[in-house]
Amino acid sequence: MSAFASVAPPYTMPATVGGDTLLNDTAEATSRALNQFLASVELKAYKIAQAGLRHQDDALDAVQDAMLQLARAYSNRPEAEWKPLFYRILENRIRDMQRRRTVRGRVMAWLPFRRDDEEDDSDPIAQAPSHDLPPVARLELDEAMTALDGALGELPARQRQAFMLRNLEGLDVAQTAQAMGCSEGSVKTHYFRALQALRTKLGEFEL
Amino acid sequence: MNATEGESSQTTLLQSGLEARACLVLEEGVSRIDARIRSRLNQARQAAVAEAAKPSYLMWLNRAFSRHALMPATGAAAAAALVAVLMLNGGHQMTTTVAENPASALDVLDLVTDDDAMNLMEDNDRSFYEWAAAEGDNAGQGSGENAGRGAGGTT
Repeated sequence: MSAFASVAPPYTMPATVGGDTLLNDTAEATSRALNQFLASVELKAYKIAQAGLRHQDDALDAVQDAMLQLARAYSNRPEAEWKPLFYRILENRIRDMQRRRTVRGRVMAWLPFRRDDEEDDSDPIAQAPSHDLPPVARLELDEAMTALDGALGELPARQRQAFMLRNLEGLDVAQTAQAMGCSEGSVKTHYFRALQALRTKLGEFEL
Repeated sequence: MNATEGESSQTTLLQSGLEARACLVLEEGVSRIDARIRSRLNQARQAAVAEAAKPSYLMWLNRAFSRHALMPATGAAAAAALVAVLMLNGGHQMTTTVAENPASALDVLDLVTDDDAMNLMEDNDRSFYEWAAAEGDNAGQGSGENAGRGAGGTT
C-alpha cells in the first residue's frame, strides 16, 4: 500500500468546513426564527387583510406576498424589526390591491359578462365555526362579529389600520407608526377617531 | 371632581371597555378562521421560509471568497491574464523597436508623456505624422550636414 494513501484530500480543510458549518447554522437559525414569527402573525395578518379587502382569496394573496417579501428582503434584519416591517409590507400590499380592484371594477362595469357571485365559490362546510359555545352566546358573538366587521369596513383605511394593529396585533404606538409609515402623533389621532367612530356605530350592540 | 372630568373619565372607561370587547371579538374571529385558510397560510409560510433559505448571490460570493484554496489560484489566473494582454498588445513591438534602435525608446517616451502629442494621436492627424516623418529624415540629414559644418567651423 502506498504511503500517499493516508494523506487527506485537499477539500477537507477544517477552516473551510468550519466556515460553511457556521453559515449553514446561521441560515437554519434564521429559517427557524422566521417560521416561528410567521406562524405567530399569519392568522391575525389574514384577519387584518380581510378587514381591508373584504375578500378571502385577496386577503390570502396579500398575506402570502407580505410573507415572501419579508423573507426575501428582510430576513437578515434583527427579529425585533420583523413585525413592524411585515405589517408595513402587508398594508402596502392591501392598498395596492384596493387600488387595483377599484380600477378593475371601473373596467368590468363596462363589460357584459362580469360575475357578481365570486364570494359563493367558497365551501360553506369548511367555513362553518368549529367550536362549542352555547347557542345563545354563539348567536350574540356572531352578531357582535358581524357588527364589528361591518363597522370596521366603514372606517377610513388609516383609522382601520391603526385600530387593527393596536387592538388585534397588540403593537404599541411606536411600532404602529413604523408599520403605517407615519408619526406616533398621527397613530394616536387615527386610533382615537377609530374608537369614536366605532363607539357611535356599535353603541346599540353594547360591544 | 367637576362635570367635565367625570364625562372624560366615563368616556375613557367606555373606550377601554370598547377596546377590550373589540379585542375579544376580533380574537374570536381569528380563532374561527377555517381549516382551508389555515392550510393555505401554512403553505404560504413554508414557501416564504424556503425562499429565505435559498442562498443569495451575495452569500455565494462570500462563500467563494472565503475558501482559502481559491484565492491563490484566482490571483495567479488574474496575473497571467494581465501579462498575456500586455505581451499581445505591444510588448513585442516595443522590444523589437528598442532592440533595433535604443535611442528611439526615449522618443517614444517623449511622445507618450507629451500632452500635445497625445491630442494629435487622438485626432488621428495623419498629415502630421507624414510631416513629422519627413522632418525626422531631413533632421537626420541636416544634423549630419550641421555636424560637418560645425566640424569645419571649428577647424
